[in-house]
Amino acid sequence: MEERKTIIVVKDLTARFGDNVVFEDVNFQVYKGEILVIVGASGCGKSTLLKIMIGLQKPYAGQVLYQGTDIISANEKELDLYRQNIGVLFQSGALFSSMTIKENMELPLQEYTNLDPAVIDKIIKMKLGMVNLAGYENYNPSELSGGMRKRAGIARAMALDPRVLFFDELSAGLDPVTAVELDDLIIKTNEALGTTMVIVTHELESIYKIAHRVLMMDKEAKGFIAEGKPLDLKKNSTDPRVTSFFLRQVPAAPDEQRYYVS
Amino acid sequence: MTTQTQKDSPERYTISYKREDLNLFIYLAGEFGLKNLAAFNSDINREIFRQKLNSVTIDFSEICYLDSAAALALVQIRKDAVAQDIPCQLVNLNDEAKGIFSVIHEDALNHPPFKSVQDDDDFIRRVGQSSLYIMRDFKNFVTFIGDLMVAILYIIRHPKTLRWKDVLFYVQRAGVDGLPIVAVIGALMGLIIAFMSFLQLKMIGANIYVPSLVSFAMIKELGPIMTAILVAGRSGSAYAAEIGTMAVNEEVDALNTMGFDSVRFLAVPKVLATIIVLPILTVYADFFGIIGGMIIGVTSLDLTIKTYITQSIKNIKVFDIVTSLIKAGVFAALIASIGCQKGFQVRSGAQDVGKFTTSAVVAAIFLIVVADSIFAIMFYYI
Repeated sequence: MEERKTIIVVKDLTARFGDNVVFEDVNFQVYKGEILVIVGASGCGKSTLLKIMIGLQKPYAGQVLYQGTDIISANEKELDLYRQNIGVLFQSGALFSSMTIKENMELPLQEYTNLDPAVIDKIIKMKLGMVNLAGYENYNPSELSGGMRKRAGIARAMALDPRVLFFDELSAGLDPVTAVELDDLIIKTNEALGTTMVIVTHELESIYKIAHRVLMMDKEAKGFIAEGKPLDLKKNSTDPRVTSFFLRQVPAAPDEQRYYVS
Repeated sequence: MTTQTQKDSPERYTISYKREDLNLFIYLAGEFGLKNLAAFNSDINREIFRQKLNSVTIDFSEICYLDSAAALALVQIRKDAVAQDIPCQLVNLNDEAKGIFSVIHEDALNHPPFKSVQDDDDFIRRVGQSSLYIMRDFKNFVTFIGDLMVAILYIIRHPKTLRWKDVLFYVQRAGVDGLPIVAVIGALMGLIIAFMSFLQLKMIGANIYVPSLVSFAMIKELGPIMTAILVAGRSGSAYAAEIGTMAVNEEVDALNTMGFDSVRFLAVPKVLATIIVLPILTVYADFFGIIGGMIIGVTSLDLTIKTYITQSIKNIKVFDIVTSLIKAGVFAALIASIGCQKGFQVRSGAQDVGKFTTSAVVAAIFLIVVADSIFAIMFYYI
């Protein structure tokens, strides 16, 4: 059996805000070329974990090793190099509203490369073509729909051809058709470019469709409670927290806590 | 066979060239990506176009990393070679490389933009556009003042509909929180006027007029105008930014769809609070201006505190104080109205918020000076 190459290793990671422990001693690996989906209920620490992994937040303890370099204790130069190797799509797309889509994408290419403007122009056109936005380079983000803004955000995140792409709440706030289109785009990009993807989401349809592997976080457990392929977890897990998530079953509330509309 | 190796880049590559008659074989090995794109692109181009060739073959069998930007550059190299009548083929691509080449679509590369970039250098167009903006701004301001008047009339008829809690909140923000800076600026202004006038008046032995000059200048002009400018900077900008951010977050739309009049809900409390606090802040600034002047009077003019105060109030009439307060009230209405109106003009994004916040302060200061000039002429004839 072919051994999978590890690209990111998370070791004994603990995050806390004051006395409030979000998660502790979390350990996992991200394998090269996989789509890893981190799931869990609101408040379980998914976004905190993502922020630590992309270097926006320092953990209380632990390490995040990218190809052997710990980005938590990394100096600014090492962190800068790491940032050139990752791309992030934030929940809202986070496109700079004062710039056109082209200017948004030009920014990292101008900052981190010494390419001619004509070459940068070609790269931008290619990436926009990849996300089905060819021709939209001179539009402002406010002129695009939510789904198009997300796709433009993906194009910007891919501008530097990152080795790892992180997505925070990939299809949040999108209609089902647009969400499916976005899922297809993720699969297509992963298959064509082999880019490793770490996705935080709780959209079940999306999870079943795109995830190679799922890690499930839980607030009470302060860490992961399950790992595996989404369908395997759905069918085989005996943990009620996992099955209730994958079967969309809400634990019944006691009668006295229910409110009826008469 | 000749070989070129690049070691400086984080992505290291080796390119070997082999010539058989006029056929060039290029063997790529190592990592080819965005970081070394410029280098390998010029290496390969130089080799291909430095002599006449019958064909070029680029071999990918030793490549261990290729990204889409590098693939695009290699596609462009092939295109350029073909354009020079040199057949060029890419061979021994593994599945990964084939996948990467599959994302390059000629249609996307040659797709004309749906929207062209406007030429900002066109002087006549810019003048025309600016004129239209000014006319539109003026129309918006007049419309807003109309809406504000209607809202205020409604509140006069239905006082319970006013959110007094909000009024008190903005009284605190614009007034109480602004007391320290108004006091410091007022005292320093009084001190400067006293010192400058002392330097001039001592030459003709008229030092005794310094206190009345300071109090007259502070109460008649400097107190209201200086306080108004401070409030425009502190509160006018805050009103524009607050309403602007609410507009971006669709909170203003939410208010309207819930049946609230956004002007009555958001602007009226701010306008009323500013009209309440600015006259009070003006009196406060006048007081500290006189105190500032007194420091010079007592330390440099050898006047007693009692003499200084007597001299200060000697030439001040009730009319001067009343007109000063009227001016402060009008300035307050202008500052708050323009701040709120600019906030409502924000449509999208952080840049719009910044633009209209700046515009609110500039417009408020301009209107304060214009109104002050009108008051100066008006009060002269009263």
